[in-house]
Amino acid sequence: MHLLEVENLNKRFGGLTAIKDLNFNVEEGEILGLIGPNGAGKTTLFNLISGFLKPDSGKIKFKGEDITGNEPYKIVNKGIARTFQVVRPFRHLPVIANVLVALKSARGSKKIEWVKTPEAKALGLLEDVGLSDMMLESAGILPHGDLKRLEIARALATEPELILLDEPFAGLNPIETELLTKSINSMHLDGHTMVIVEHKLYALMKLAKRVIVLHFGEKIAEGTPEEIAKNKKVIEVYMGRAK
Amino acid sequence: MATTYLRRAYSSFAVHILDIPPRLLAFLMFLLVLSLPVTKPTEHILLLLIQASIMAIFACSWDLLVGRTGQISLGHALFFGLGAYITALLWFHYDLPVWVTIPISVLIVTGLAPLIGFPCLRVKGPYLALVSMALPIIVVSLISYFRDYTQGERGIAGLPGFFPSLPYGQRFVAEYFLTLFLLLVSSVILYRIANSRTGIVFVSILDDELASKACGINITKYKLMAFTISGLFAALAGAVSAHLLASGRSVTTASLDANLSFMVVIVAIFGGIGTMYGPIIAAYILQLIDQYVLVKIWNVPSEYHMLLFIIVIIILVLKWPRGVAKFVTDELDDLQEEREIEERGKHIWKRYRRKKRSPTPEA
Amino acid sequence: MIPRTRKTLALTAIAAIVVIAAVAIWWYNTIPTAERGLTLLKTKSIIIFGIVSGGTFALLALGFTLIYGVAGVVNMAHGSFFMLGAYIFYVFTSPKYLEVNIFLAFFIAIILTGVIGATVYRLTIHPVIEELTSLLVITVGVALVFERLMIIEFGPFHYPIPGFVGGYETILGVKVTYTRLLAFSVSLVLFAALWMFISKSKMGRAMRAAAQDLEAAKLMGVNTGRLFMLTMALSSILAATAGILITASTSGIAMPFMWLRPLVLSFAIVILGGLGSIKGTFIGSFIIGFVDNIVVFLIPEGSYLGGAAAMAIMVAVLLVRPKGLFGKRIELEE
Repeated sequence: MHLLEVENLNKRFGGLTAIKDLNFNVEEGEILGLIGPNGAGKTTLFNLISGFLKPDSGKIKFKGEDITGNEPYKIVNKGIARTFQVVRPFRHLPVIANVLVALKSARGSKKIEWVKTPEAKALGLLEDVGLSDMMLESAGILPHGDLKRLEIARALATEPELILLDEPFAGLNPIETELLTKSINSMHLDGHTMVIVEHKLYALMKLAKRVIVLHFGEKIAEGTPEEIAKNKKVIEVYMGRAK
Repeated sequence: MATTYLRRAYSSFAVHILDIPPRLLAFLMFLLVLSLPVTKPTEHILLLLIQASIMAIFACSWDLLVGRTGQISLGHALFFGLGAYITALLWFHYDLPVWVTIPISVLIVTGLAPLIGFPCLRVKGPYLALVSMALPIIVVSLISYFRDYTQGERGIAGLPGFFPSLPYGQRFVAEYFLTLFLLLVSSVILYRIANSRTGIVFVSILDDELASKACGINITKYKLMAFTISGLFAALAGAVSAHLLASGRSVTTASLDANLSFMVVIVAIFGGIGTMYGPIIAAYILQLIDQYVLVKIWNVPSEYHMLLFIIVIIILVLKWPRGVAKFVTDELDDLQEEREIEERGKHIWKRYRRKKRSPTPEA
Repeated sequence: MIPRTRKTLALTAIAAIVVIAAVAIWWYNTIPTAERGLTLLKTKSIIIFGIVSGGTFALLALGFTLIYGVAGVVNMAHGSFFMLGAYIFYVFTSPKYLEVNIFLAFFIAIILTGVIGATVYRLTIHPVIEELTSLLVITVGVALVFERLMIIEFGPFHYPIPGFVGGYETILGVKVTYTRLLAFSVSLVLFAALWMFISKSKMGRAMRAAAQDLEAAKLMGVNTGRLFMLTMALSSILAATAGILITASTSGIAMPFMWLRPLVLSFAIVILGGLGSIKGTFIGSFIIGFVDNIVVFLIPEGSYLGGAAAMAIMVAVLLVRPKGLFGKRIELEE
């Protein structure tokens, strides 16, 4: 059984077709890359999967269960977490409180044996992403790179099985990119399945074993990074046609 | 045995209050306020303070809802007035004593609060503000309509007081302590809720509702929670005020009026929306200004008081629109909270390190 | 799940009307012949007064929609202009103050209110037009300020608002005062004037442009500050007209607390019809007009329930279909 199944998904905004007859699956334990030029519908797809948008038609199944059109918080509590393309931290709260919020969710507040309090768990998560010394700082003053890490810590706090990462490498310098790649790998080893939307192809291709390419809401290619790199249609879509 | 408890109580007191400057200050002020009756103040001053205490509870409850969760309520007098009316009606029709009618009234309003909150939940911003203003009007209309049962606009007078056995002069002092006690209990509870993990979720809803949803938070549940808690304390304030000698021991539709709803907005803006303690202090200051400064010192006729307050608030909001819009002001990051989290933090650090050193079972 | 589209709502409404009509006819046949006349009279009254009320409510609601559609401002003081119109009219028709020809008083009242509206805009709304929450607080404050001012100046009493013309006409057996008819005709005239203004004049075009896309309008050189101020004047003139007409033809009294009901009524109508839609405001006004009269005529002592029914509808709409019937500007999720 596939971890996530997307069947015949369609979404229109007035006259604009954002997602058209989209079909794909996500297997448990894999890192799936999702690429495509701007406006291809990648974030819309994430919004549809995580429940922030309701599709016009089609189905989304998670572990066999139909979650199409469910409320976002219910989907999180079923095991799908997401990060946002433009970070959305709780700027009025200190860093540790940001994680504490996620730990208040139904899924995040399930008891773990060796950690007694949510604060301890939050601290652990912050340590994993390297933000533990900032834990009391107001999230509003953190630099961009740190905020991205906070987003990931928050997503991990809900103990997800599937994580949707929306352009996690955007705005990061090479060092931060390296660190994030390491983090994603370790999350992968921990057993999390991930779908990553990314424009920085060199970073993505190192992580993803399988890649799907979207263009104007349709899937135009699917395969390993090497296959995608050689795919004529993909090159055309990104580079334009040679004369 | 007793000494261990005493010692523990003292050390807990020391950690939670003595060590933290703002709290120490608040405690000292509280002691001062508590000993006030020793100075034999006039009836007028006591009246002022009693009414201020009630307004303080009311404003604090508003602040939890609006300042921490971001649900703009411009008709909070609904809870206050309902609390007042229900206790009055229970006495009027069933002749029940005060210490029965008030808890029942509070319970009823608290039970109704989720129903009231429900339409408010689906809407945001102006819609919410308008619905919150419309609900008290509906209730006032219903009161007028069922006038045989509710006495309509005349209201209900002659409600029983709290201390019928005391001589008249001492009743004011007794009421003073009563309202002060209620204020203490209410504000501590509200403050603790606001700074609990639930309170953190409240602020997350205010900050970024979408992100909060993405963290798995059931927004509806928490908004309803905020509504209910806020409604509970507002109803308490209303129910108690109906029976106070200080407010004439009567109830009219004025307790549901837009002026009262806006007054609490004024108090909260003045004290600092989101701080929880600000509105309490502001309630006292504004009451003082309203009844003492304006009357005794500047001799302003009573009709102009409210007008002045509103104009001042309009000017304040015009000058600092972002302050009101942001709701939770920078005062959230105040010394006290940081200390608290730091304390918790250090505590966790130690515990966490200890746990790490000892062999842990793999997750 | 049945999709909540306009079509399904319309079908449900039609089905509901058919059912109600069937029940009504059956019930009509069960009541004794003696009472039938009264019931018929009541029904005719509801229909006629519903239309008249609807027309005048529409003036009020239109003013509210106008300033929202063009400037995005939710004016909580809209009811105050309703009240000011009535009060100024009183001042100029009362022997205690300045008494002038009643029609002159009418014009003075609405123009003066228009000026006040524009001033209020410039002083209190324009600075905070970006911050929605501050705007709400401030406009409520303004409304309360006006209430206080009326209390200070005139006391918390009722003041008589004269109906323009005495006497009444009998239409289909229902007694309708000339004042009411006048109010209705004035409403129609004003609608026509407003429609022509918005569709033909330069200012009207600017208003439509701002309503469609504010940024684009600014880029096209529209002076939004001035446009909004004028729109506000227009909005308050409409409110004042409604204030005078409605008060003159119904209660006949003015009091300082009379700003709250028109405000909530406007909001109820606009929410029902859909924010930002003039068509919706129109239709909503008539629906609410009918509902109001149904409540008044069918429920004993229904007039006390006043706008409660309208407000209940508003709350219900917000729960079921927040967009209203024809709404455009809705709270988008993401």
